[in-house]
Amino acid sequence: MSRFRGWIQAAATLISNIHLPNFFKGGIYQGQGKAVCVPGLNCYSCPAASGACPIGAFQAVVGSSKFSFSYYITGFLILLGVLLGRFICGFLCPFGWLQELLHKIPSKKFSTKKLKPLTYVKYVVLVLTVILLPILVVNDLGMGDPFFCKYICPQGVLEGAIPLSIVDENLRAALGDLFTWKLFVLIAVVVLSVLFFRPFCKWVCPLGAFYGLMNKVSLLGIKVDQHKCVSCGKCAKACKMDVDIRKSPNHTECIRCGKCISACPVDAIDFSYGFDLPGKNPCDSAETHTEDKKTIEG
Amino acid sequence: MNKMSKISTVLVASLLTVSLTACSGTDDTKEETTSTTPDTTATTSVKPSNADEAAKQYQDLMQQENDILSANSDLWEKVFASVDKDNPMIGQSSNYGDFLLAAIDDAAAAGKLSDEETETLKTGAQQVKEIEDQLAALEQDYPGCGSTPGEGESVDAASAGMASDSSEQTAFPSFTGKDFDGNDVSSDELFSKNKVTVVNFWFSTCKPCVEELGDLDALNKELAEKGGEVVGVNSYTLDGDETAISDAKDILSKKGATYRNIWFGSDTEAGQFTAGLFSFPTTYVVDQNGNIVGQPIMGGITSPEQKEALNKLIDQALANSAE
Repeated sequence: MSRFRGWIQAAATLISNIHLPNFFKGGIYQGQGKAVCVPGLNCYSCPAASGACPIGAFQAVVGSSKFSFSYYITGFLILLGVLLGRFICGFLCPFGWLQELLHKIPSKKFSTKKLKPLTYVKYVVLVLTVILLPILVVNDLGMGDPFFCKYICPQGVLEGAIPLSIVDENLRAALGDLFTWKLFVLIAVVVLSVLFFRPFCKWVCPLGAFYGLMNKVSLLGIKVDQHKCVSCGKCAKACKMDVDIRKSPNHTECIRCGKCISACPVDAIDFSYGFDLPGKNPCDSAETHTEDKKTIEG
Repeated sequence: MNKMSKISTVLVASLLTVSLTACSGTDDTKEETTSTTPDTTATTSVKPSNADEAAKQYQDLMQQENDILSANSDLWEKVFASVDKDNPMIGQSSNYGDFLLAAIDDAAAAGKLSDEETETLKTGAQQVKEIEDQLAALEQDYPGCGSTPGEGESVDAASAGMASDSSEQTAFPSFTGKDFDGNDVSSDELFSKNKVTVVNFWFSTCKPCVEELGDLDALNKELAEKGGEVVGVNSYTLDGDETAISDAKDILSKKGATYRNIWFGSDTEAGQFTAGLFSFPTTYVVDQNGNIVGQPIMGGITSPEQKEALNKLIDQALANSAE
């Protein structure tokens, strides 16, 4: 499965943004699909977007004067989290894919191992800009701002503001300081993505923070067979998210990309799905298993 | 303990799955209690010269037909309720007007309608029949002119009047609707009465929209002296949704905005135009001839630059109207 990851990421990006002609028409799709969230970070205002962004939708509801909490979206996120966890980051998120593509640009690459404290920033972003500020900072009518979308999210500029303002001169006229700031954020994330692996996912993304916590209870996991393991440490070395899968298979930073599975010389690591039943083989990964084996042998 | 946690995980997960299905929205059922006879004298008889015109004419005719049917909706309800499905005439007629006439005869024969009611309905059905004939002719000359953009499909910027060529006059899409106090409003009457009309599109949970309501009210007072008016269109209140109107009224009164807010049917030309908007607030300036002046202002008009741009449009509209 990990071998096809790039293709799955491309397909997920396309499915999340299926209304491609809108890029030229200069409007956004506003039909029934927008009543549902896509799993990854994908802006509602992208002309081609098929669904809503879970983080944007959460803020829109929680910050509205009509509702006190986003129960539906929270439930949706918990469901996705329980089913897949951060597998969504590794396989389905368009913004994650973009950062990986940027990282393929040849340049000097830096490790993020020493920058571990920064991985906690994303929890602050989640609690503060997605939940607390939209609830607490309100006007006289009880209306809040979607702080994360408005002040931080680079995906909104990339997918929403830029393509829409290219085709619409009136929208271009409305661009102000906020756009300049967000464009700066986007450029910073693009540059950092070339130098570091997935900097936004590691340090900023509130959706990644949420799914990361759900990794602990997610049905999809990675299992290490301690009997087969020869403690060579190749998995930890292969991991670009700075996780040692042997010590913590359900680590919040693990995006389930499967690099460790391919790196393991003795096939001790594999995806597992379902409850952690002793003596039971992982149920859905038999195919991947043999394929990975072939790769290593070849 | 371990077993317990597994069982509870399964329960929670299934509960979540089930709860998702409970979220599918049910469409509001609206009651229509209009009893006015709509204006049907403007039935188009000019031959369209191209497919676009044909499509527009088709829309107009459909609108007229809907107006006729909704005008006496309670009476029509009676007719439809008493339709005898075994009547061969009803099954075979290809023209909807013929069907209506036959159905009215049935209902009258069954004693469900008074003479006066029968007369009103028959006049309506006769008009529907004529409109149907015109629709059929249009469809024959321009196949496909009756298909309208599906729900949720994005209307392209040009056809939504958002990227029009400045040298060409674009008429503001027409509508007949009501203001929040229940008075009838039509686009023709509204625009021709004012030297300039500022139409502000907003919705109730849009913060920047709500925050400029005060400024718009001040603008309305200023324009009143020049023979102009600010009119609000809250996209939530289309089709006269009562809860949405009362929410919007509440917000307007809290913001001290006293200018007129109106709604129209989502199937009117202006309704479809509103559905194509994706940026709120958006403000249009319309001159006395009902034409959109320049380009719309997207985003709030509270900033000095936007306000200046708006004032320029207003001056231009006043100049147009003076011509």
